[in-house]
Amino acid sequence: MSTDKLITLQQAAEIVKNGSKLTFSGFTIWRRPFALIYELIRQKRKNLHLIEVNGGPQTEFLVGAGCVDIWESCWVGHELYGKYGANLSRKVGNKEIIVEDYSHAEMMFRFSAAASGAAYAVTQTSLGTDIHNPEYDMLGRAGLRDGKRIAKHKYVFAEDPFFGAGAQVLIPAVKLDVAVLCVQQVGEEGTVRVNGQYYSDPESARAADITIAIAEEIVPEEYLRRNADQNTIPSFEVDYILECPFGGHPTGMFGRYDVDGNFLKDFYGRTRTQEGFDDFAKEWIFGHDHMSYLEKLGWPRMLKLKANTALNYSPREKKGGK
Amino acid sequence: MSKYAKPEEFGLADLLCCAASREVADNEIVFAGTGLPMVAIMLAQKTHAPNLKLIFEAGTLDGRPPELPTSVGDARCEMGASRSSGLNDAFSIAQRGLVDLGFLGGAEVDLYGNVNTTCIGDYLEPELRLTGSGGNPDINSFARRTVFIMVHEKRRFVENVSYITSPGWRVKKWPGGEFVHRRELYGAAFRGGPSAVISTAGVFRFDEQSGRMYLDTCHPGKSPEEIRGMCQFDLDISRVKGETELPTREELRIIHEVLDPDEIFIPKVKAA
Repeated sequence: MSTDKLITLQQAAEIVKNGSKLTFSGFTIWRRPFALIYELIRQKRKNLHLIEVNGGPQTEFLVGAGCVDIWESCWVGHELYGKYGANLSRKVGNKEIIVEDYSHAEMMFRFSAAASGAAYAVTQTSLGTDIHNPEYDMLGRAGLRDGKRIAKHKYVFAEDPFFGAGAQVLIPAVKLDVAVLCVQQVGEEGTVRVNGQYYSDPESARAADITIAIAEEIVPEEYLRRNADQNTIPSFEVDYILECPFGGHPTGMFGRYDVDGNFLKDFYGRTRTQEGFDDFAKEWIFGHDHMSYLEKLGWPRMLKLKANTALNYSPREKKGGK
Repeated sequence: MSKYAKPEEFGLADLLCCAASREVADNEIVFAGTGLPMVAIMLAQKTHAPNLKLIFEAGTLDGRPPELPTSVGDARCEMGASRSSGLNDAFSIAQRGLVDLGFLGGAEVDLYGNVNTTCIGDYLEPELRLTGSGGNPDINSFARRTVFIMVHEKRRFVENVSYITSPGWRVKKWPGGEFVHRRELYGAAFRGGPSAVISTAGVFRFDEQSGRMYLDTCHPGKSPEEIRGMCQFDLDISRVKGETELPTREELRIIHEVLDPDEIFIPKVKAA
Protein backbone atom coordinates (compact mmCIF):
# COMPACT_ATOMS: atom_id res chain seq x y z
CA MET A 1 0.00 0.00 0.00
CA SER A 2 1.43 3.30 -1.07
CA THR A 3 0.45 6.71 0.21
CA ASP A 4 3.18 8.71 -1.48
CA LYS A 5 0.61 10.33 -3.77
CA LEU A 6 -0.74 12.32 -0.84
CA ILE A 7 -0.21 16.08 -1.09
CA THR A 8 -1.65 19.26 0.42
CA LEU A 9 -3.95 21.74 -1.28
CA GLN A 10 -1.09 24.24 -1.52
CA GLN A 11 1.15 21.64 -3.17
CA ALA A 12 -1.64 20.70 -5.55
CA ALA A 13 -1.96 24.31 -6.65
CA GLU A 14 1.81 24.53 -7.13
CA ILE A 15 1.67 21.66 -9.64
CA VAL A 16 -0.34 23.98 -11.86
CA LYS A 17 2.24 26.35 -13.32
CA ASN A 18 1.84 29.73 -14.95
CA GLY A 19 0.84 28.93 -18.52
CA SER A 20 -0.36 25.39 -17.74
CA LYS A 21 -3.02 23.79 -19.91
CA LEU A 22 -5.62 22.84 -17.40
CA THR A 23 -8.97 21.05 -17.12
CA PHE A 24 -11.39 20.02 -14.39
CA SER A 25 -13.86 17.31 -13.50
CA GLY A 26 -17.58 17.96 -13.42
CA PHE A 27 -20.33 19.46 -15.47
CA THR A 28 -21.46 23.11 -15.37
CA ILE A 29 -22.34 23.59 -11.66
CA TRP A 30 -21.52 20.08 -10.45
CA ARG A 31 -18.29 18.60 -8.97
CA ARG A 32 -15.83 21.38 -9.72
CA PRO A 33 -12.61 21.39 -7.61
CA PHE A 34 -13.30 24.72 -5.95
CA ALA A 35 -10.90 24.36 -3.03
CA LEU A 36 -8.09 24.25 -5.59
CA ILE A 37 -9.62 27.01 -7.77
CA TYR A 38 -9.53 29.30 -4.73
CA GLU A 39 -5.94 28.30 -3.93
CA LEU A 40 -4.82 29.04 -7.52
CA ILE A 41 -6.34 32.50 -7.16
CA ARG A 42 -4.59 33.02 -3.80
CA GLN A 43 -1.29 31.96 -5.37
CA LYS A 44 -1.98 34.40 -8.23
CA ARG A 45 -1.47 31.88 -11.01
CA LYS A 46 -1.20 33.57 -14.43
CA ASN A 47 -1.52 32.85 -18.16
CA LEU A 48 -3.54 29.66 -17.73
CA HIS A 49 -4.91 27.96 -20.83
CA LEU A 50 -8.21 26.38 -19.76
CA ILE A 51 -9.50 23.58 -21.96
CA GLU A 52 -12.90 22.50 -20.73
CA VAL A 53 -15.60 20.22 -22.14
CA ASN A 54 -17.91 22.82 -20.61
CA GLY A 55 -17.27 25.76 -18.34
CA GLY A 56 -19.06 26.96 -15.23
CA PRO A 57 -18.50 28.92 -12.03
CA GLN A 58 -14.89 27.67 -11.85
CA THR A 59 -14.21 29.34 -15.20
CA GLU A 60 -15.81 32.53 -13.99
CA PHE A 61 -13.74 32.65 -10.80
CA LEU A 62 -10.42 32.03 -12.56
CA VAL A 63 -11.23 34.40 -15.40
CA GLY A 64 -12.47 37.11 -13.04
CA ALA A 65 -9.26 36.81 -11.01
CA GLY A 66 -7.15 37.36 -14.14
CA CYS A 67 -5.58 33.88 -14.07
CA VAL A 68 -6.63 32.91 -17.61
CA ASP A 69 -5.24 33.93 -21.01
CA ILE A 70 -7.00 31.35 -23.21
CA TRP A 71 -10.33 29.54 -22.77
CA GLU A 72 -11.18 26.71 -25.18
CA SER A 73 -14.64 25.36 -24.58
CA CYS A 74 -18.29 25.71 -25.52
CA TRP A 75 -20.35 27.12 -22.66
CA VAL A 76 -20.09 29.15 -19.50
CA GLY A 77 -22.76 30.18 -17.02
CA HIS A 78 -24.32 29.20 -13.71
CA GLU A 79 -27.39 27.32 -15.04
CA LEU A 80 -30.49 28.75 -13.34
CA TYR A 81 -28.40 30.76 -10.86
CA GLY A 82 -26.86 33.08 -13.45
CA LYS A 83 -27.65 33.29 -17.15
CA TYR A 84 -24.18 33.70 -18.58
CA GLY A 85 -20.54 34.14 -17.62
CA ALA A 86 -20.38 37.84 -16.83
CA ASN A 87 -16.64 37.84 -16.06
CA LEU A 88 -15.75 36.05 -19.28
CA SER A 89 -18.10 38.32 -21.19
CA ARG A 90 -16.44 41.43 -19.74
CA LYS A 91 -12.93 40.18 -20.56
CA VAL A 92 -13.93 39.16 -24.09
CA GLY A 93 -15.29 42.68 -24.59
CA ASN A 94 -12.01 44.18 -23.32
CA LYS A 95 -9.95 41.70 -25.38
CA GLU A 96 -8.22 40.51 -22.23
CA ILE A 97 -8.80 36.85 -23.05
CA ILE A 98 -8.76 34.61 -26.14
CA VAL A 99 -11.85 32.43 -26.50
CA GLU A 100 -11.82 29.49 -28.91
CA ASP A 101 -15.35 28.19 -29.48
CA TYR A 102 -16.10 24.57 -30.26
CA SER A 103 -19.38 22.72 -29.84
CA HIS A 104 -20.03 20.61 -26.76
CA ALA A 105 -19.78 17.29 -28.61
CA GLU A 106 -16.65 18.51 -30.41
CA MET A 107 -15.02 19.27 -27.06
CA MET A 108 -16.04 15.87 -25.69
CA PHE A 109 -14.73 14.06 -28.76
CA ARG A 110 -11.45 16.04 -28.58
CA PHE A 111 -11.03 14.77 -25.01
CA SER A 112 -11.91 11.21 -26.07
CA ALA A 113 -9.32 11.37 -28.84
CA ALA A 114 -6.65 12.53 -26.41
CA ALA A 115 -7.64 9.82 -23.92
CA SER A 116 -7.15 7.12 -26.56
CA GLY A 117 -3.90 8.55 -27.85
CA ALA A 118 -5.44 9.51 -31.20
CA ALA A 119 -4.25 12.65 -32.95
CA TYR A 120 -7.74 13.85 -33.74
CA ALA A 121 -11.42 13.01 -33.69
CA VAL A 122 -13.78 12.92 -36.64
CA THR A 123 -17.41 13.99 -36.48
CA GLN A 124 -20.26 15.55 -38.43
CA THR A 125 -21.55 17.81 -35.71
CA SER A 126 -22.08 21.54 -36.16
CA LEU A 127 -21.52 21.54 -39.93
CA GLY A 128 -22.72 24.82 -41.46
CA THR A 129 -22.30 26.88 -38.30
CA ASP A 130 -19.99 29.78 -37.50
CA ILE A 131 -18.02 27.45 -35.23
CA HIS A 132 -16.33 26.48 -38.52
CA ASN A 133 -16.05 30.02 -39.86
CA PRO A 134 -12.37 30.28 -40.87
CA GLU A 135 -12.33 33.94 -39.80
CA TYR A 136 -13.17 32.88 -36.26
CA ASP A 137 -10.08 30.78 -35.55
CA MET A 138 -9.01 32.91 -32.61
CA LEU A 139 -5.82 31.04 -31.68
CA GLY A 140 -4.83 31.20 -35.34
CA ARG A 141 -5.52 34.93 -35.46
CA ALA A 142 -3.29 35.33 -32.40
CA GLY A 143 -0.49 33.40 -34.14
CA LEU A 144 -0.47 30.74 -31.45
CA ARG A 145 -0.98 27.62 -33.60
CA ASP A 146 2.56 26.23 -33.38
CA GLY A 147 1.60 22.59 -34.02
CA LYS A 148 3.18 21.58 -30.71
CA ARG A 149 1.39 22.98 -27.68
CA ILE A 150 -1.53 24.16 -29.82
CA ALA A 151 -2.83 22.35 -32.90
CA LYS A 152 -1.83 23.71 -36.31
CA HIS A 153 -5.50 24.08 -37.28
CA LYS A 154 -8.72 24.64 -35.37
CA TYR A 155 -10.38 22.00 -37.58
CA VAL A 156 -9.92 20.45 -41.03
CA PHE A 157 -12.70 19.37 -43.39
CA ALA A 158 -12.51 15.98 -45.10
CA GLU A 159 -14.77 13.72 -47.13
CA ASP A 160 -15.49 10.26 -45.75
CA PRO A 161 -12.98 8.11 -47.71
CA PHE A 162 -14.52 4.81 -46.60
CA PHE A 163 -18.29 4.84 -47.03
CA GLY A 164 -18.95 8.09 -48.88
CA ALA A 165 -20.93 9.47 -45.94
CA GLY A 166 -20.07 13.03 -46.95
CA ALA A 167 -18.46 15.97 -45.21
CA GLN A 168 -16.58 15.27 -42.01
CA VAL A 169 -14.80 17.61 -39.66
CA LEU A 170 -11.49 16.60 -38.08
CA ILE A 171 -10.83 18.22 -34.73
CA PRO A 172 -7.54 18.02 -32.82
CA ALA A 173 -7.08 15.99 -29.65
CA VAL A 174 -6.71 18.24 -26.62
CA LYS A 175 -3.23 18.55 -25.09
CA LEU A 176 -3.48 18.86 -21.34
CA ASP A 177 -0.82 19.38 -18.71
CA VAL A 178 -3.02 18.94 -15.66
CA ALA A 179 -6.51 17.62 -14.85
CA VAL A 180 -7.91 18.35 -11.42
CA LEU A 181 -10.78 16.13 -10.34
CA CYS A 182 -13.25 16.64 -7.52
CA VAL A 183 -14.72 13.28 -6.57
CA GLN A 184 -16.45 11.41 -3.76
CA GLN A 185 -13.77 8.81 -3.01
CA VAL A 186 -10.16 8.07 -3.82
CA GLY A 187 -8.06 5.18 -2.54
CA GLU A 188 -4.55 5.59 -1.15
CA GLU A 189 -3.10 4.34 -4.44
CA GLY A 190 -5.25 6.62 -6.57
CA THR A 191 -8.24 4.51 -7.57
CA VAL A 192 -11.20 6.86 -8.01
CA ARG A 193 -14.83 6.02 -7.43
CA VAL A 194 -17.26 8.58 -8.82
CA ASN A 195 -20.88 8.18 -7.81
CA GLY A 196 -23.56 9.40 -10.17
CA GLN A 197 -23.02 10.72 -13.68
CA TYR A 198 -19.28 10.74 -14.35
CA TYR A 199 -19.56 13.47 -17.02
CA SER A 200 -16.19 13.60 -18.85
CA ASP A 201 -13.97 12.73 -15.88
CA PRO A 202 -12.51 9.41 -17.15
CA GLU A 203 -11.40 11.03 -20.41
CA SER A 204 -9.95 14.06 -18.59
CA ALA A 205 -7.89 11.89 -16.24
CA ARG A 206 -6.53 9.76 -19.08
CA ALA A 207 -5.84 12.69 -21.41
CA ALA A 208 -3.86 14.85 -18.97
CA ASP A 209 -0.13 14.41 -18.28
CA ILE A 210 -0.76 14.90 -14.55
CA THR A 211 -4.02 14.10 -12.75
CA ILE A 212 -4.81 15.31 -9.24
CA ALA A 213 -7.80 13.81 -7.44
CA ILE A 214 -9.36 15.90 -4.69
CA ALA A 215 -11.76 13.70 -2.78
CA GLU A 216 -14.38 14.18 -0.12
CA GLU A 217 -12.67 11.25 1.56
CA ILE A 218 -9.58 9.11 1.10
CA VAL A 219 -10.63 5.52 1.72
CA PRO A 220 -8.62 2.31 2.04
CA GLU A 221 -7.56 1.24 -1.43
CA GLU A 222 -8.51 -2.31 -0.48
CA TYR A 223 -12.11 -1.19 0.17
CA LEU A 224 -12.45 0.13 -3.40
CA ARG A 225 -10.82 -2.98 -4.88
CA ARG A 226 -13.44 -5.22 -3.33
CA ASN A 227 -15.88 -3.92 -5.98
CA ALA A 228 -13.64 -2.94 -8.86
CA ASP A 229 -16.63 -2.82 -11.23
CA GLN A 230 -17.87 0.25 -9.36
CA ASN A 231 -14.64 2.21 -9.79
CA THR A 232 -14.30 4.95 -12.38
CA ILE A 233 -10.60 5.67 -12.83
CA PRO A 234 -7.70 3.23 -12.34
CA SER A 235 -4.98 3.97 -9.78
CA PHE A 236 -2.12 4.59 -12.22
CA GLU A 237 -3.97 7.40 -13.99
CA VAL A 238 -4.01 9.45 -10.80
CA ASP A 239 -0.70 11.03 -9.79
CA TYR A 240 -1.67 12.93 -6.65
CA ILE A 241 -4.46 12.68 -4.12
CA LEU A 242 -5.79 14.80 -1.30
CA GLU A 243 -8.77 14.85 1.00
CA CYS A 244 -10.86 17.98 1.09
CA PRO A 245 -14.41 17.76 2.46
CA PHE A 246 -16.88 20.14 0.79
CA GLY A 247 -14.07 20.81 -1.69
CA GLY A 248 -16.56 21.33 -4.50
CA HIS A 249 -18.61 24.04 -2.79
CA PRO A 250 -20.43 26.10 -4.17
CA THR A 251 -20.94 23.43 -6.87
CA GLY A 252 -22.78 20.24 -5.96
CA MET A 253 -21.75 16.61 -5.63
CA PHE A 254 -23.98 13.56 -6.13
CA GLY A 255 -24.66 11.84 -2.83
CA ARG A 256 -22.80 14.47 -0.81
CA TYR A 257 -24.22 17.99 -1.18
CA ASP A 258 -26.36 20.12 -3.43
CA VAL A 259 -25.35 23.16 -5.43
CA ASP A 260 -25.30 26.28 -3.23
CA GLY A 261 -27.60 28.29 -5.47
CA ASN A 262 -27.67 31.32 -3.21
CA PHE A 263 -23.89 31.52 -3.27
CA LEU A 264 -23.81 31.35 -7.08
CA LYS A 265 -26.62 33.93 -7.42
CA ASP A 266 -24.72 36.24 -5.11
CA PHE A 267 -21.51 35.74 -7.11
CA TYR A 268 -23.29 36.30 -10.43
CA GLY A 269 -25.05 39.42 -9.16
CA ARG A 270 -21.96 40.97 -7.60
CA THR A 271 -19.25 40.27 -10.19
CA ARG A 272 -20.51 42.04 -13.32
CA THR A 273 -17.72 44.57 -12.81
CA GLN A 274 -14.05 43.98 -11.97
CA GLU A 275 -14.50 45.98 -8.76
CA GLY A 276 -17.37 43.70 -7.85
CA PHE A 277 -15.25 40.62 -8.50
CA ASP A 278 -12.34 41.97 -6.47
CA ASP A 279 -14.69 42.72 -3.60
CA PHE A 280 -16.17 39.20 -3.74
CA ALA A 281 -12.68 37.65 -3.85
CA LYS A 282 -11.61 39.73 -0.86
CA GLU A 283 -14.58 38.45 1.11
CA TRP A 284 -14.47 34.76 0.17
CA ILE A 285 -10.97 33.88 -1.13
CA PHE A 286 -8.09 36.05 0.05
CA GLY A 287 -7.09 35.68 3.67
CA HIS A 288 -8.84 32.31 3.86
CA ASP A 289 -7.78 28.72 3.67
CA HIS A 290 -10.21 25.88 3.04
CA MET A 291 -11.11 25.45 6.72
CA SER A 292 -11.72 29.12 7.39
CA TYR A 293 -13.82 29.22 4.21
CA LEU A 294 -15.98 26.42 5.61
CA GLU A 295 -16.16 28.22 8.96
CA LYS A 296 -17.39 31.30 7.17
CA LEU A 297 -20.05 29.24 5.41
CA GLY A 298 -21.04 27.73 8.73
CA TRP A 299 -22.60 24.44 9.69
CA PRO A 300 -26.26 25.44 9.27
CA ARG A 301 -25.69 26.31 5.62
CA MET A 302 -23.63 23.19 4.96
CA LEU A 303 -26.18 20.94 6.66
CA LYS A 304 -28.91 22.44 4.52
CA LEU A 305 -26.92 21.45 1.42
CA LYS A 306 -25.96 18.00 2.69
CA ALA A 307 -27.47 15.21 0.58
CA ASN A 308 -29.86 12.64 1.92
CA THR A 309 -27.97 9.35 1.63
CA ALA A 310 -30.96 7.47 0.18
CA LEU A 311 -31.91 10.15 -2.37
CA ASN A 312 -28.37 11.40 -3.16
CA TYR A 313 -29.58 15.00 -3.06
CA SER A 314 -30.86 17.35 -0.40
CA PRO A 315 -34.63 17.50 -0.22
CA ARG A 316 -34.27 20.31 2.33
CA GLU A 317 -32.52 22.67 -0.02
CA LYS A 318 -34.87 25.05 -1.77
CA LYS A 319 -33.64 24.58 -5.26
CA GLY A 320 -34.21 27.78 -7.07
CA GLY A 321 -35.73 31.14 -7.58
CA LYS A 322 -39.00 32.01 -9.16
CA MET B 1 -66.76 22.00 -17.87
CA SER B 2 -64.19 22.13 -20.67
CA LYS B 3 -61.01 20.16 -20.16
CA TYR B 4 -59.16 23.33 -21.20
CA ALA B 5 -58.23 25.97 -18.67
CA LYS B 6 -59.60 29.51 -18.95
CA PRO B 7 -57.16 32.27 -19.97
CA GLU B 8 -56.99 33.65 -16.43
CA GLU B 9 -56.02 30.22 -15.05
CA PHE B 10 -52.64 29.90 -16.75
CA GLY B 11 -49.59 31.96 -17.62
CA LEU B 12 -47.45 32.18 -20.72
CA ALA B 13 -44.93 29.71 -19.30
CA ASP B 14 -47.75 27.17 -18.83
CA LEU B 15 -48.86 27.65 -22.44
CA LEU B 16 -45.29 27.20 -23.73
CA CYS B 17 -44.71 24.17 -21.56
CA CYS B 18 -47.88 22.43 -22.77
CA ALA B 19 -47.23 23.32 -26.41
CA ALA B 20 -43.69 21.89 -26.06
CA SER B 21 -45.03 18.77 -24.37
CA ARG B 22 -47.34 18.13 -27.33
CA GLU B 23 -44.34 17.98 -29.67
CA VAL B 24 -43.31 14.70 -28.00
CA ALA B 25 -44.67 11.43 -29.34
CA ASP B 26 -44.77 8.26 -27.27
CA ASN B 27 -41.77 5.90 -27.47
CA GLU B 28 -39.47 8.63 -28.73
CA ILE B 29 -35.92 9.18 -27.47
CA VAL B 30 -35.79 12.78 -26.33
CA PHE B 31 -32.80 14.93 -25.39
CA ALA B 32 -33.60 17.38 -22.59
CA GLY B 33 -31.91 20.65 -21.81
CA THR B 34 -32.14 22.54 -18.54
CA GLY B 35 -35.23 24.58 -17.72
CA LEU B 36 -38.70 24.68 -19.16
CA PRO B 37 -38.03 21.86 -21.69
CA MET B 38 -37.30 19.51 -18.80
CA VAL B 39 -40.75 20.25 -17.34
CA ALA B 40 -42.37 19.89 -20.77
CA ILE B 41 -40.83 16.48 -21.38
CA MET B 42 -41.66 15.22 -17.91
CA LEU B 43 -45.23 16.46 -18.50
CA ALA B 44 -45.37 14.41 -21.71
CA GLN B 45 -43.97 11.45 -19.76
CA LYS B 46 -46.86 11.77 -17.28
CA THR B 47 -49.58 12.28 -19.92
CA HIS B 48 -49.56 11.13 -23.55
CA ALA B 49 -46.01 9.73 -23.85
CA PRO B 50 -45.42 7.39 -20.88
CA ASN B 51 -42.86 5.36 -22.84
CA LEU B 52 -40.62 8.19 -23.97
CA LYS B 53 -36.93 7.73 -23.24
CA LEU B 54 -35.31 10.75 -21.70
CA ILE B 55 -31.61 11.53 -22.14
CA PHE B 56 -29.80 14.18 -20.13
CA GLU B 57 -26.70 15.54 -21.82
CA ALA B 58 -24.54 15.01 -18.72
CA GLY B 59 -24.95 11.24 -18.98
CA THR B 60 -28.35 10.03 -17.77
CA LEU B 61 -29.90 7.53 -20.18
CA ASP B 62 -33.63 6.76 -20.07
CA GLY B 63 -34.17 8.86 -16.98
CA ARG B 64 -37.36 8.95 -14.94
CA PRO B 65 -36.57 11.59 -12.34
CA PRO B 66 -39.09 11.54 -9.50
CA GLU B 67 -38.22 15.13 -8.66
CA LEU B 68 -37.49 17.98 -11.07
CA PRO B 69 -33.74 18.39 -11.65
CA THR B 70 -32.44 21.97 -11.63
CA SER B 71 -29.93 21.23 -14.39
CA VAL B 72 -28.85 18.20 -16.40
CA GLY B 73 -25.83 17.57 -14.15
CA ASP B 74 -28.14 17.30 -11.15
CA ALA B 75 -28.11 14.25 -8.86
CA ARG B 76 -31.90 14.21 -9.36
CA CYS B 77 -31.53 13.22 -13.03
CA GLU B 78 -30.47 9.65 -12.57
CA MET B 79 -32.84 8.35 -9.90
CA GLY B 80 -34.72 5.54 -11.65
CA ALA B 81 -32.68 5.80 -14.85
CA SER B 82 -31.69 2.87 -17.02
CA ARG B 83 -28.06 3.95 -16.92
CA SER B 84 -25.99 6.75 -15.48
CA SER B 85 -22.89 7.51 -17.54
CA GLY B 86 -21.20 10.51 -19.08
CA LEU B 87 -21.13 12.95 -21.96
CA ASN B 88 -19.29 10.68 -24.34
CA ASP B 89 -22.21 8.26 -24.16
CA ALA B 90 -24.83 10.96 -24.55
CA PHE B 91 -23.20 12.56 -27.59
CA SER B 92 -22.25 9.24 -29.18
CA ILE B 93 -25.88 8.15 -28.92
CA ALA B 94 -26.91 11.39 -30.63
CA GLN B 95 -24.31 11.02 -33.38
CA ARG B 96 -25.34 7.38 -33.82
CA GLY B 97 -28.76 8.71 -34.84
CA LEU B 98 -30.81 7.36 -31.94
CA VAL B 99 -32.31 10.68 -30.85
CA ASP B 100 -35.75 11.59 -32.19
CA LEU B 101 -36.29 14.96 -30.61
CA GLY B 102 -34.35 17.66 -28.79
CA PHE B 103 -35.52 20.82 -27.05
CA LEU B 104 -33.32 23.88 -27.34
CA GLY B 105 -33.29 27.61 -26.74
CA GLY B 106 -31.66 30.64 -28.27
CA ALA B 107 -31.11 34.38 -28.13
CA GLU B 108 -31.70 34.96 -31.88
CA VAL B 109 -33.28 32.94 -34.69
CA ASP B 110 -33.46 33.63 -38.44
CA LEU B 111 -35.94 32.69 -41.17
CA TYR B 112 -34.21 29.31 -41.70
CA GLY B 113 -34.07 28.35 -38.05
CA ASN B 114 -30.39 29.17 -37.56
CA VAL B 115 -29.95 29.99 -33.89
CA ASN B 116 -27.43 32.09 -32.01
CA THR B 117 -26.42 31.57 -28.38
CA THR B 118 -22.84 32.83 -28.71
CA CYS B 119 -22.70 36.62 -28.99
CA ILE B 120 -24.66 39.73 -29.92
CA GLY B 121 -22.94 41.88 -32.56
CA ASP B 122 -19.82 41.08 -34.58
CA TYR B 123 -18.10 37.98 -33.16
CA LEU B 124 -14.74 39.71 -33.37
CA GLU B 125 -16.04 42.88 -31.67
CA PRO B 126 -19.00 41.60 -29.66
CA GLU B 127 -21.48 43.90 -27.97
CA LEU B 128 -22.24 41.04 -25.61
CA ARG B 129 -20.68 37.62 -25.23
CA LEU B 130 -23.34 35.05 -24.29
CA THR B 131 -23.00 31.52 -22.88
CA GLY B 132 -21.69 29.88 -26.05
CA SER B 133 -23.01 26.85 -27.87
CA GLY B 134 -23.30 24.17 -25.22
CA GLY B 135 -24.88 21.14 -26.85
CA ASN B 136 -27.24 23.21 -28.99
CA PRO B 137 -25.53 22.59 -32.37
CA ASP B 138 -24.87 18.96 -31.53
CA ILE B 139 -28.48 18.08 -30.79
CA ASN B 140 -29.57 20.18 -33.73
CA SER B 141 -27.12 18.38 -36.03
CA PHE B 142 -28.05 14.87 -34.99
CA ALA B 143 -31.69 14.69 -33.82
CA ARG B 144 -34.51 14.03 -36.27
CA ARG B 145 -36.43 17.01 -34.94
CA THR B 146 -35.59 19.93 -32.72
CA VAL B 147 -37.95 22.36 -31.05
CA PHE B 148 -36.81 25.81 -29.95
CA ILE B 149 -38.46 27.63 -27.08
CA MET B 150 -37.81 31.38 -27.23
CA VAL B 151 -38.87 34.75 -25.91
CA HIS B 152 -40.46 36.60 -28.85
CA GLU B 153 -39.03 40.04 -29.44
CA LYS B 154 -38.42 41.70 -32.81
CA ARG B 155 -34.70 41.98 -32.04
CA ARG B 156 -34.55 38.19 -31.62
CA PHE B 157 -36.38 37.17 -34.84
CA VAL B 158 -33.83 38.57 -37.27
CA GLU B 159 -32.84 38.55 -40.94
CA ASN B 160 -29.35 37.30 -40.07
CA VAL B 161 -28.26 36.06 -36.66
CA SER B 162 -25.02 37.58 -35.33
CA TYR B 163 -23.43 34.12 -35.23
CA ILE B 164 -24.82 30.79 -36.38
CA THR B 165 -24.33 28.68 -33.28
CA SER B 166 -26.81 26.00 -34.24
CA PRO B 167 -27.63 24.86 -37.77
CA GLY B 168 -31.07 25.52 -39.28
CA TRP B 169 -32.38 24.45 -42.70
CA ARG B 170 -30.12 26.65 -44.79
CA VAL B 171 -26.61 26.88 -43.41
CA LYS B 172 -23.18 28.17 -44.35
CA LYS B 173 -20.90 26.10 -46.52
CA TRP B 174 -17.29 26.76 -45.62
CA PRO B 175 -14.76 28.04 -46.55
CA GLY B 176 -16.86 30.46 -48.64
CA GLY B 177 -19.82 30.79 -46.29
CA GLU B 178 -22.53 30.63 -49.01
CA PHE B 179 -25.91 29.36 -47.83
CA VAL B 180 -26.91 25.82 -48.86
CA HIS B 181 -29.68 23.46 -47.77
CA ARG B 182 -28.46 21.42 -44.82
CA ARG B 183 -29.17 18.19 -46.69
CA GLU B 184 -26.27 19.04 -49.00
CA LEU B 185 -23.83 19.44 -46.14
CA TYR B 186 -24.80 16.64 -43.84
CA GLY B 187 -24.85 13.84 -46.40
CA ALA B 188 -25.48 10.50 -44.72
CA ALA B 189 -25.90 12.24 -41.36
CA PHE B 190 -28.91 14.25 -42.57
CA ARG B 191 -31.91 13.24 -40.51
CA GLY B 192 -34.00 16.39 -40.30
CA GLY B 193 -33.71 19.70 -38.53
CA PRO B 194 -35.65 22.32 -36.59
CA SER B 195 -39.32 21.32 -36.68
CA ALA B 196 -40.85 24.05 -34.54
CA VAL B 197 -40.15 27.30 -32.76
CA ILE B 198 -42.44 27.90 -29.81
CA SER B 199 -42.17 31.57 -28.92
CA THR B 200 -44.06 33.69 -26.45
CA ALA B 201 -46.22 34.83 -29.42
CA GLY B 202 -46.99 31.67 -31.37
CA VAL B 203 -45.86 28.36 -32.80
CA PHE B 204 -43.80 28.35 -36.00
CA ARG B 205 -42.88 25.50 -38.30
CA PHE B 206 -40.61 25.03 -41.30
CA ASP B 207 -41.17 24.13 -44.92
CA GLU B 208 -38.59 21.39 -45.34
CA GLN B 209 -37.96 22.10 -49.04
CA SER B 210 -37.46 25.86 -48.89
CA GLY B 211 -36.26 25.72 -45.30
CA ARG B 212 -38.38 28.79 -44.50
CA MET B 213 -40.26 29.40 -41.27
CA TYR B 214 -44.02 29.90 -41.31
CA LEU B 215 -46.57 30.72 -38.65
CA ASP B 216 -48.57 27.69 -37.55
CA THR B 217 -50.66 28.88 -34.59
CA CYS B 218 -51.07 32.13 -32.65
CA HIS B 219 -51.12 32.30 -28.88
CA PRO B 220 -54.35 33.74 -27.42
CA GLY B 221 -54.69 37.46 -28.06
CA LYS B 222 -52.15 37.58 -30.91
CA SER B 223 -53.11 38.03 -34.57
CA PRO B 224 -51.03 36.69 -37.48
CA GLU B 225 -50.37 40.24 -38.68
CA GLU B 226 -49.22 41.30 -35.24
CA ILE B 227 -46.83 38.34 -35.07
CA ARG B 228 -45.51 39.10 -38.56
CA GLY B 229 -44.76 42.59 -37.27
CA MET B 230 -42.69 41.04 -34.50
CA CYS B 231 -40.21 39.54 -37.00
CA GLN B 232 -37.47 41.35 -38.92
CA PHE B 233 -37.81 38.86 -41.78
CA ASP B 234 -40.86 38.36 -44.00
CA LEU B 235 -42.86 35.74 -42.11
CA ASP B 236 -45.24 33.51 -44.08
CA ILE B 237 -48.65 33.76 -42.39
CA SER B 238 -50.63 32.05 -45.16
CA ARG B 239 -50.67 28.67 -43.47
CA VAL B 240 -51.95 29.65 -40.02
CA LYS B 241 -54.19 26.96 -38.53
CA GLY B 242 -55.67 29.03 -35.72
CA GLU B 243 -55.02 29.44 -32.04
CA THR B 244 -52.42 27.47 -30.07
CA GLU B 245 -54.08 24.67 -28.12
CA LEU B 246 -54.62 25.82 -24.56
CA PRO B 247 -53.33 23.96 -21.49
CA THR B 248 -55.79 21.55 -19.96
CA ARG B 249 -56.67 21.70 -16.27
CA GLU B 250 -55.05 18.28 -15.85
CA GLU B 251 -51.80 19.47 -17.43
CA LEU B 252 -51.73 22.51 -15.14
CA ARG B 253 -52.31 20.29 -12.13
CA ILE B 254 -49.39 18.05 -13.09
CA ILE B 255 -47.08 21.02 -13.75
CA HIS B 256 -47.82 22.82 -10.50
CA GLU B 257 -48.62 20.04 -8.07
CA VAL B 258 -46.35 17.23 -9.28
CA LEU B 259 -43.49 18.52 -11.43
CA ASP B 260 -42.63 22.04 -10.32
CA PRO B 261 -44.42 22.80 -7.05
CA ASP B 262 -41.52 25.05 -5.98
CA GLU B 263 -41.94 27.20 -9.13
CA ILE B 264 -38.32 26.67 -10.13
CA PHE B 265 -39.02 27.11 -13.82
CA ILE B 266 -42.77 27.77 -14.11
CA PRO B 267 -44.45 30.39 -11.92
CA LYS B 268 -48.02 29.82 -10.75
CA VAL B 269 -50.66 32.25 -11.85
CA LYS B 270 -52.17 33.81 -8.76
CA ALA B 271 -55.96 33.74 -8.68
CA ALA B 272 -57.33 37.24 -9.09
